[in-house]
Amino acid sequence: MDKLIRIDNLHKSFYDGDTELKVLKGVNLDIHQAEVLAIMGASGVGKSTLLHIIGTLDRPTEGNIFYEDEDITAFSERELTRFRNDAIGFVFQFHQLLPEFTALENVAMSGLIRNTRKVENKNGNRYSSDAYEKAEILLESVGLSERLGHFPSQLSGGERQRVAIARALVNQPKVVLADEPTGNIDDKTSEAVLDVLQDINERLKQTFIIVTHDSRLSERANRTVHLVDGKIAD
Amino acid sequence: MKFEWFVASRYLLSRRKQSFISIISIISIVGVGLGVATVILVIAVLDGVEHGLKERFLANEAHIVLRLIDNGFYSDYENKIEAIEDVEGVVAASPVVYSQLAVFREGSKQIEDVILIKGIVPEVEDKVTSFTKFVNGSYDFQNDDLIKQARFLNDETITGGIVLGSRLAQRLTVAKGDVLKLVVNMTEDQLNPGAYIPLIRNFVVIGFYESELTVYDDHIAYIDLKAAQKIYNEVGRVNSIFIRLENAEFAPKMSEEIEEAAQFSVLDMPTTRTWMEKYAPLFSALELEKIATVIIEALIILVAAFNIASTLIMTVMEKTRDVGMLRTLGASRGHIMGIFMIKGSVIGMLGTLAGTTLGLYICWLLSTNVMRPSPWIANACIGILSCSVIGIAYRRIGTVSVTFIIFATIFSINMFITPFLVLSSTMRTVLIILGVIALVIFWIIVLIKSWQKLSSIWKPTFFALGLLAIGFILFCYVKPISLEELGLSAIYQMNQLPIKVNWFFVGFINALSFAICWLATIYPAWQASNLKPIEALQYE
Repeated sequence: MDKLIRIDNLHKSFYDGDTELKVLKGVNLDIHQAEVLAIMGASGVGKSTLLHIIGTLDRPTEGNIFYEDEDITAFSERELTRFRNDAIGFVFQFHQLLPEFTALENVAMSGLIRNTRKVENKNGNRYSSDAYEKAEILLESVGLSERLGHFPSQLSGGERQRVAIARALVNQPKVVLADEPTGNIDDKTSEAVLDVLQDINERLKQTFIIVTHDSRLSERANRTVHLVDGKIAD
Repeated sequence: MKFEWFVASRYLLSRRKQSFISIISIISIVGVGLGVATVILVIAVLDGVEHGLKERFLANEAHIVLRLIDNGFYSDYENKIEAIEDVEGVVAASPVVYSQLAVFREGSKQIEDVILIKGIVPEVEDKVTSFTKFVNGSYDFQNDDLIKQARFLNDETITGGIVLGSRLAQRLTVAKGDVLKLVVNMTEDQLNPGAYIPLIRNFVVIGFYESELTVYDDHIAYIDLKAAQKIYNEVGRVNSIFIRLENAEFAPKMSEEIEEAAQFSVLDMPTTRTWMEKYAPLFSALELEKIATVIIEALIILVAAFNIASTLIMTVMEKTRDVGMLRTLGASRGHIMGIFMIKGSVIGMLGTLAGTTLGLYICWLLSTNVMRPSPWIANACIGILSCSVIGIAYRRIGTVSVTFIIFATIFSINMFITPFLVLSSTMRTVLIILGVIALVIFWIIVLIKSWQKLSSIWKPTFFALGLLAIGFILFCYVKPISLEELGLSAIYQMNQLPIKVNWFFVGFINALSFAICWLATIYPAWQASNLKPIEALQYE
């Protein structure tokens, strides 16, 4: 399998006054194209921090992350923002949908953001001017074709999470990062959400990195790694 | 639609669920609007008063007076007037003998007043100061019947007729046909050196000068130019030329040109005085007042802008998680800044436009004398509209009745009981004002509450109806302010409060208001763009 992401000796420390809190102490990890990787670990061990750094929302104290041999730790703030828009999709524990916008608009949002840039595709057209079309197809594929015009407050917990998954996919990212995607919904709904994830992975060859406590989720993953004491346990 | 506009418009219009327009946006818009409306209104009143006064003063005021520095007489004035009238921008010029004389009534033994005497040719003077328009009676200084009568009744010689300022005539208690004695000159008594004998001329009062300007009515009298020349022994000479221009505002610029055209010799030392110099203290006071007002009014808009800033800061706090998510989705700091600046600027722009409309509407109402419907109809309007808002919001007849009963109670206490309480008038006024404030607050609370409950289909309808109702209520209540009723007409020399809209200023205030509102958006927007995505996402 092709190597998509290479994490090389990643360190992250937080400072509270003079005290240094070392969270990540040299993480080395490879993520392959089209795999579902589950990262497990006790709470507070730094799973979410690792995910944020992979997702360029935070910067490491030390170490490098390579996306297809490109070192993103050297990127400027502006380049990171653009990279995040193009290459990364996020799914959070709380759906984090924008309450003023319909399901369709929420899904299309990152496509609309991309439209503000001068990104062109092979035909010379604006890259994702069809953000709404894509959003519609994606919502259909997660089984929400009846819910396009609904606001988040009119959707159930499982439906919101499925909208969030669709939103993560709209710009065809290199990787989707999910932080406890089933952490806030009941078991039965979780199953449905996991089915959706698995289906997407199989159909679209979409790479997923999932941080979770949920052992059922790790069972469905291609590979599970454990984060122990700031390092990946073998 | 551009991304920032898309997000900003949604934030502007709704809270959570899709609705018409969020109440907090309305409050901010109203804040800016009231500020702008006040500014436009106050400046229109100030401009109106200034313009009205100017018009009144200029109605019978020469724009330029040309004389010699020692007030001396000069001959050849006909040619000078011809030359002056040839200057471009000059309408007319009139020869005048201008001086002060002591007067007393027939039968009186003492001097009663010192008055300004203007010796004029009525037909020529008319072109400069609209003289005949203000005369009540006759201005035929030579041949009026009253003069003939007086000549017939009195043994004394009568020099001619005199037109007296109306207030002056009241003070001297003279009527038309009475004889007024003017002390023209003093001659030393040949027999009794050191003693002086006054040389006196008799004039018959043939009319009153009624310009309603105290400056004139209280101090001035008009006689024939020839008579004036004769009493001063200056036949064929005058000491002033009064000039009217096409545009009074050009007086300072044109006075030099006129001085040159008159062709005095350098030794004569001619000098001019414009109407502006005459009224300089008054108009500079008005100007100062206007500058002070503009500054204070700019502060009002500043207050409204703070309102926008605080609204935006609140929105930023409320939307912190959304900002975090948008940043996560790849929105740049510029995008975030744009969203909030657009939201604030749209509020500022709508508020400015609404305020301009309101201000101009009230200006129009204050200057239009049309019969207004009874305020009771306006009150009924408020009642019906408010009750239907409450009714449709709550769908319960009980709620409507209760609010209506509370309204009716406060209203009737205010209207029917307070005025008849045995209290001092100040106390009564205070009570009535408190009652009105209570009523307004009551309605605002009730309407905001029901507005929030209103479904989004009804909101635009009631919004439009509400605007119409406000317009109609203003139409019923706002009338031109009568200065006569306030007893101020004598002071301001006008019957109703004048309004003059200065369009340039309206444009300026619009630009200023928008600029201030735009500046107020920068800090909150910058704060939003500086939020760290992770912290924002975890914000509770």
